Amino acid sequence: MVEISSDVIRGYNDTIILSILMKEPSYGYGISRQIKEISDGKYAIKETTLYSAFTRMEKNRYIESFIADEDPKGNGKKRTYYRITDEGKAYYGTKCEEWDVTREVIEKFIADKGE
Amino acid sequence: METIKNYLETMFASLPNTAEVRKAKAELLQMMEDKYNELISEGQSENTAVGTVISEFGNLDELADDLGLSKEVEETRAKESEVPRRQISMDEAMAYLANNTKKSIFRAIGVMCCIIAVGWTILFSGISPVGGVCLMFVSIAAGVGFIVYSNFVDADWKFMNTELCRVDMATAAAVKERKRSFESVRALCVTLGVVLCIICWVPNLFAGRISTFAPALMFFLVGFGVLLIVYASNVYGGFEKLLQINDINVPGASYDAPGNAPVKYKSKAAETVVAIYWPLVTCAYLIVSFLTFHWELTWIIWPIAAVLRTVVVINCRADEE
Repeated sequence: MVEISSDVIRGYNDTIILSILMKEPSYGYGISRQIKEISDGKYAIKETTLYSAFTRMEKNRYIESFIADEDPKGNGKKRTYYRITDEGKAYYGTKCEEWDVTREVIEKFIADKGE
Repeated sequence: METIKNYLETMFASLPNTAEVRKAKAELLQMMEDKYNELISEGQSENTAVGTVISEFGNLDELADDLGLSKEVEETRAKESEVPRRQISMDEAMAYLANNTKKSIFRAIGVMCCIIAVGWTILFSGISPVGGVCLMFVSIAAGVGFIVYSNFVDADWKFMNTELCRVDMATAAAVKERKRSFESVRALCVTLGVVLCIICWVPNLFAGRISTFAPALMFFLVGFGVLLIVYASNVYGGFEKLLQINDINVPGASYDAPGNAPVKYKSKAAETVVAIYWPLVTCAYLIVSFLTFHWELTWIIWPIAAVLRTVVVINCRADEE
């Protein structure tokens, strides 16, 4: 099976994470698990990639972190949760448009799959 | 889980111990722990789970860039090769603790000898005042001797005060375990010590006017009480010292839980109460003492205040884990 190349996907890690945070705030592993599920197990994001994306996006104010509990009753372990900001939503929109253009262009070149 | 912690520890070994790095380490550990727990709950064996978690961890260099630490990583590496941090092995740590216990005993006995010195003069005042005074000096000499000797006992470990040292995760965990099991001994010693100091004057109530035994006993009770307190806090200090050894601008081994680091208080008012507690007690002590002029009794305020403070702090602290 062809594995996804981290070089190719690097530019879109932020977009992927933001798309998950668009639905609801989540924490490190929760996001990592969703990425795996949504990609049917084809993309497993590395922990370091995920964390560096968090710090970078927090610095850029695309996301905010807060400490919360998975269990609403408060019996669970405390984790750092992330939620998307308005700037993050705007950035996500731009990246989606950018991807449409990118895909359009790339597909023009690889449509016939070398036959 | 231990393997994962150790792996992470090794990966972070060359990074400086800044708040950012500690946070990164704690967050990464949390993610790895979550993944590990899920893999285990899916029925994977421990070894497979650890393997998967580590293989999917990624590369720290990527993180160093984003944390703006690339330069610091380089610097720390350079510094480490210049002045290598002394690694304290598990055996050494245990030897240090045993040695520290010995030191604490000597020191505690020394302090007790000094306190009970006056007791001898009172005890022997009826029989042989000169003998009593002699015993007092012998007792003080012995006490000072013990205290001085206690400082020689840990001569082999003085390097810990001057050299940069580090302990690994496993050692830190073992020390933490020892510390936890000592916790009950410490509580018992301190409580008993404080109680002895407080009830020391009780024998006087039951003794006749001419009795020299009861006033002397007061000093012996205080002496023994202080011995217990000094012993317990010194032994405890040894654990704390080892556990803090990785701190201060060095590659760290502490895992901070998120939002758990500094002590948080319920409110601004609670924080103020804790902050002004000792000044307040001092004022109360001075006022009461000057008003009553019973200095021989008013010192009891201190041990009582110390016990009360624990209660106050527990009540003022915000509830967290």
